[in-house]
Amino acid sequence: MKYVLSKYALLLGFFVFSLPVLAQMSVSGTVVSEDGMPLPGVNIFEKNTPDNGAVTDFDGNFTLEVENPDGELVFSSIGFITKTISIPRDGQMTVTLMNNMQELSEVVVVGYGEVRRKDLTGSVSTIDVGEIEDIPANSIERVLQGRVAGLQVATPSQDPGAGATIRIRGGSSLRGSNAPLIVVDGFPLGDAGNLKQINPSDIQSVDVLKDASASAIYGSRGANGVIIITTKMAKEGKTQVRIQQQSTVSAFTSKVDLWRDPLLMAQLNNESRRNGGFEPLYIGAENSTGVYYPSIWELQSGEWPHFTEWDDIVFRDNPMSNNTTISVNSGTEKTSFNLSANYYTDMGVYIDDDYSKYGYNLRVKHDLLDNLSIRVSNILSKGMREYNGGLAYWRNPIFPVYNSQGEYNLIGTNDYSHPLAISENRLDETEMLDLITSAALEWRIIAPLKLTSRLNYKHGKSINDQYFPDVYTETGDFNDGAGWIRNWEDHNYVSETFANYNDWFGKHNLGITAGFTYENYSSRSSNLGAFDFVNETLGNENMEAGNPELNQVQNGRVETELVSGIFRINYGYDDRYLATFTARADGSSKFGENNKWAYFPSGALSWKVHEEEFMADFDELDQFKLRASYGISGNQGISPYQTLSRYGVSNYYNNGSWVTAVGPGYIVGRAGQGGIEALWGGIPNPDLKWETTSQWNLGADLSFFEERLNLTFDYYQKHTSDLLRERILPLSSGYDRLWVNDGEIKNRGFELSLDAGLIQSDNLTLNTTLIFSRNQNEVVSLGNTAESGLTIDPNTGMQFEYWGNSIEQFRQYPNLLAVGQPINIFYGYKTDGIIQNLQEGIEAGLDGSLAQPGEFKYVDINGDGIINTEDRTIIGDPNPDFHASLGFDLNYANFDFNLFLNGAFGQDVLNTQAFNQPSNQPLRWTPDNPTNAYPRLRDGRLTNLSDWWLEDGSFVRVQNVTVGYTFNLSTQNTSSARVYINGNNLYTFTDFSGYDPEVGGDGIYWGGYPRLRQLTLGLDLTF
Amino acid sequence: MKSTYKYLFFLFTLGLVSCELEEEPYGFYSEDNFYQTAEDADAAVNYAYDALTYLEYSRAYFYLGDLPTDEAFPKSDEGADVQDLHNWTVSNFGTNGILSNYFKYSYIIINRSNAVIKNIPNGDFDQGIKDRLMGEAYFLRAWSYFNLVKAYGNVPMQTELVESIDRTTSPLSANLDEVYDLVISDLQQAIGLMGLEQRLGRVDKVAAQALLSKVYLQIASSKEHGVSLYTEMNKDVDEMYNLAAQRAKEVLEGQSVYGFEEDLIEIYDVDQPLGRENIFLLSMDRSGEIEGDYSKISKLFIPYIDGATVYLENPDGSLVPTHDGWSVFQTTTEFYNSFADNDRRKTELIVDTVYNAAGEVVATYPGAIVYPFTRKYIDPDFIGDKTSTKPFLLRFSDIALVYAEAAGPTAEAYSYVNFIRNRAGLEDLPSGMGLNEFREAILNERKWELSWEGNRLFDLRRFNRVTEVVPEASGLSETEANFYPIPQTEIDLNPNL
Repeated sequence: MKYVLSKYALLLGFFVFSLPVLAQMSVSGTVVSEDGMPLPGVNIFEKNTPDNGAVTDFDGNFTLEVENPDGELVFSSIGFITKTISIPRDGQMTVTLMNNMQELSEVVVVGYGEVRRKDLTGSVSTIDVGEIEDIPANSIERVLQGRVAGLQVATPSQDPGAGATIRIRGGSSLRGSNAPLIVVDGFPLGDAGNLKQINPSDIQSVDVLKDASASAIYGSRGANGVIIITTKMAKEGKTQVRIQQQSTVSAFTSKVDLWRDPLLMAQLNNESRRNGGFEPLYIGAENSTGVYYPSIWELQSGEWPHFTEWDDIVFRDNPMSNNTTISVNSGTEKTSFNLSANYYTDMGVYIDDDYSKYGYNLRVKHDLLDNLSIRVSNILSKGMREYNGGLAYWRNPIFPVYNSQGEYNLIGTNDYSHPLAISENRLDETEMLDLITSAALEWRIIAPLKLTSRLNYKHGKSINDQYFPDVYTETGDFNDGAGWIRNWEDHNYVSETFANYNDWFGKHNLGITAGFTYENYSSRSSNLGAFDFVNETLGNENMEAGNPELNQVQNGRVETELVSGIFRINYGYDDRYLATFTARADGSSKFGENNKWAYFPSGALSWKVHEEEFMADFDELDQFKLRASYGISGNQGISPYQTLSRYGVSNYYNNGSWVTAVGPGYIVGRAGQGGIEALWGGIPNPDLKWETTSQWNLGADLSFFEERLNLTFDYYQKHTSDLLRERILPLSSGYDRLWVNDGEIKNRGFELSLDAGLIQSDNLTLNTTLIFSRNQNEVVSLGNTAESGLTIDPNTGMQFEYWGNSIEQFRQYPNLLAVGQPINIFYGYKTDGIIQNLQEGIEAGLDGSLAQPGEFKYVDINGDGIINTEDRTIIGDPNPDFHASLGFDLNYANFDFNLFLNGAFGQDVLNTQAFNQPSNQPLRWTPDNPTNAYPRLRDGRLTNLSDWWLEDGSFVRVQNVTVGYTFNLSTQNTSSARVYINGNNLYTFTDFSGYDPEVGGDGIYWGGYPRLRQLTLGLDLTF
Repeated sequence: MKSTYKYLFFLFTLGLVSCELEEEPYGFYSEDNFYQTAEDADAAVNYAYDALTYLEYSRAYFYLGDLPTDEAFPKSDEGADVQDLHNWTVSNFGTNGILSNYFKYSYIIINRSNAVIKNIPNGDFDQGIKDRLMGEAYFLRAWSYFNLVKAYGNVPMQTELVESIDRTTSPLSANLDEVYDLVISDLQQAIGLMGLEQRLGRVDKVAAQALLSKVYLQIASSKEHGVSLYTEMNKDVDEMYNLAAQRAKEVLEGQSVYGFEEDLIEIYDVDQPLGRENIFLLSMDRSGEIEGDYSKISKLFIPYIDGATVYLENPDGSLVPTHDGWSVFQTTTEFYNSFADNDRRKTELIVDTVYNAAGEVVATYPGAIVYPFTRKYIDPDFIGDKTSTKPFLLRFSDIALVYAEAAGPTAEAYSYVNFIRNRAGLEDLPSGMGLNEFREAILNERKWELSWEGNRLFDLRRFNRVTEVVPEASGLSETEANFYPIPQTEIDLNPNL
């Protein structure tokens, strides 16, 4: 401590006495790039006298009075290697700065500007997409899993073309979106999750803004964090052509859990029905719907001729995918362009379930004048989804595919699950078109001041065709054939104009960004439905052929506007102390009349400790930076028009014909069993506004050994208040619900990234990356008990509401929102094994069939001697304790090897399939097998949700392995070819008994089919 | 040259010029763009009527009017709310979903009526149309407050359209006079504003007169029988009886559109919604798309018979098909036995045998039919579960009995009662009855004639006789039996109660 203080004293002394005493000399010159282009905005300062500096003008010229003519000048500019050069005698210099890729990646794109990583004050993580380019993907988000501390990516769907669920630092909203904002080349495009418009191989870098000081510049959309995508821009030089080809083959990671022994299936089914007091099914007789089920004897003797492995029929053995990108980049003195074309196909695991996409991307940059450039980009993608999912691979194996007449063999009269009948007769196709086009002007008015004005237009469009024939499908049967055509399109205009100013005044560096943006979003939809067609051969091709009395039409339109002012000031002193202040004002049409404008300030401080004199002795330390930030951001998850008074429309049978009825109140939701009760809303809430998230962040960045070991640590607390919720209104108001801002949620946690270059030699490099994050979530308040309709736990007084999806087999919502608990905790009974004899069951407080041997032994939590709903309690938490990932990157000569492991730990998963699968049903309790692990089989059991159904969902996944080899095709390394094999989702270490423990945020595992493992053969050719 | 770029530059920022951040509603109506034409106003009145059709409300007529009485008991595995209503588990009534939904929809109707009453006078269209529509809105508001006061006693008074959050907590009525005065004045207005025109699903002047007669009778008879809250009312019993008789007589003799149906079974013909008996019939039709637009009321009354289509025998021997039901409302044996053996309302309207299309007996009561069931709600042209069966909201015979009860044993009163009895195949009432004896006889007549029409509980309440007649209610206090509690949600959320 004393040592540090003395260093401070020294520092102070240095500051006071370092007065200019030496003779001066004038130095002037030009700074150019490798290709001879003048470089404006290059910072120049005199080494050892950093407060004496200058900046180059448009023509790259500078003049500087130096204090020490024998000294050196330091030239630095974003994207170029910093150079230190001795001052020549004549004072005339021409300096060439080298454009360096490595350095470039050190530039971090933040909202409306960019900063050097070392000057960051907020919490921002950057992903160099180089290492994930080998994984084929329809959208970038899916491959970000585990790559950034604090960024959680879940991929619950395995459908072709499916997106991902993205969270930064946990969920902060209950009814609004929890997805981060995605920004592409400066333009906010909306929720992250499925950025299918942008080909991942066109992406240069991904920056993730995590704390409020970084994300508050996005104001009312920044609360969930921001993901900034920067696409590639050609550099001046030779024309480069790149061909990337990926061919992928997938397979299930395990065999589908289906009955392979029909005899055992029948025996267990009979046992279950008998135990439940029902007639057994497999007795060699027709059941009530006229279907013949063979007897056990028939199955056992082999007399029953049929056995069908439906998974062989329903699933493709090895779905194939293809991803081809051809790109051409070129740049000349004034103009550079990137052109890329992509063809992507993805086969689903179901037969005939397909996705394909064509895309092209053209970006042109042209310098109109030395200080004025224009940039235009155009991205088009056209996709096609042929849906054929949801086929019944679980169908009873004792029935054949076709009956003796060669027709589909239907089981009974209401069989709507014959997979081939559906696959061959149902139509469900969606065509999609996406366009993003933008133009930007950059005008460097004076060297330190740049003005940017840009306009972006995004257009999306889809048409869905559906036809359900009269037979084989439920919808078709009920409507005598049903056809739909659904149109949807949206338009999003963003106009942004802002100025960036950056200059040095002695030791003071000042950066200012100020501007304004305007956004207009609109979407339109129209749906046509026709039913009971004259003739089914045309499907939905001729909607007029439907019964005109049954035609359905619907249309909708939504328009929203957002006007914003942005401001940021960066101040640096002596390259040691940095401060940032940002503010954004958002005016949104979605906000209520009384809250049209929202203001989001944030501030951050950073101290580069390693720049201090007293740290000079720590040679091995390259960087030690401390950061602190606080700020406020928002979530404008209000649906449009929710703040307005709104009337409802209904039909009324008036004097013998249907008429349209209109008046106050419209249906905003459903309640009651099966949703038969309507909930009414429609009162305006002029006070409705954004959800407010205040967040503070403490962080440290450390680098050692010439930046071979880098460590970043962040601790944060995020407090979201004014949660959008539905308030319950008094019944006598004539309404049920009103959207209000009420309730609070807290997230806190820490993140650690460790990056180590373990080996760095000419021939061999080994890098390893460890990422660790922990987020703890707590519902702080859910508002007034009555107005929010909260339930109170009779034992603990905990206030809660049921949340998420009700599970049919338990007739209960398993998840709660409970005050003082994390989101989605599980609520139910506790069990203590299985009842072994009746006496034990009665003593446990159970009666009737629930007290019988072989039933669950529920625990009498409140000790009142009976088991009822008052014995429920918190039984588990689906939120992981922490996430971790570990990556290794090895290069030896021309070989490269990459291994990436990803895991989540400590979460509970509700396995709804724990006792209905061929793999677990035979383990049942029987008098001969008095197990404590499984109950007996009993049809019609009213199963309570209990901890018996919860399992530890911790896992470590071998997420990705790549092995590649690069051929150098020319001496200058300008042509190269790389071949690689990439394996995705190779193996998962877990104790979870289902296929895969990675489920949605509610922690509910629904079964389905196993996860797919993908093997990709890739070729990357550059010339 | 340079100015060209500047021009371009300004083009980019042009989008900023005009933005007021005001939302323009698209594709939905609001007060700003509605009530401008007669068509708008008609649609607004229809919206008020439409609230009556939601199943939470239309089914409640029977859940409240019939199930908690001696007429019916529910299927054993019906939900707790249904069981509690029948068993008079009053401790659970505050949170009973059926009771709170009935309460809620009454106020939805009131709010929609208030919207019409507030906005129509400003519209620019024919005064005659305005009057009729205003009359209908006043009627619907009165209809709802009358139902509320019969069910709950004192209730929150909401007489203006709720347009903002600060208007959502209305105070409780000070006494029953406050509620009834509003009901009476609304109905008087309705009578003055409307003309005579029978239309399915809409009301006219006669409906308002009919309802007003029932209102007066409810006050008169409740106060006479010492029902609490009514005893404190500032109304004279005899005057109320007189007004009831007077208004009922306007219905019976002041017009010729409505009248008695000669043939008993014709009253319940689902395809004759404009039958002479139907002063106000809820409008639902099997061609509707959602329940409420179509009706599943048939399913509540008909027992489950293997999911089959069954045939019922008409008095003339012909067969009429219907789907089977859910066995929700099961006829009590006592009620079934209370009919005279030759009462056609038992022999023709209560079914104990069903047939197949060939006319062969499929099931009988006792036997495969678990209870004898009413056929007041059957639709031979049902589509799956969808039917056009409708609750009978105001029936001519009901008003005839109201008149008789209010007027007492006059010759005219006798003639109305005897018409109804004769139509059911019964002999005249014994002549020369005393006033009380006569009114007792009419109470019984109403029980048989208006069974399954949502009436019984409210008749028993005004005779202060729930605990006596309904075994499940015996031992309850007078208030518990005569008034349901205000729903707990309302108490929790409305600080002005």
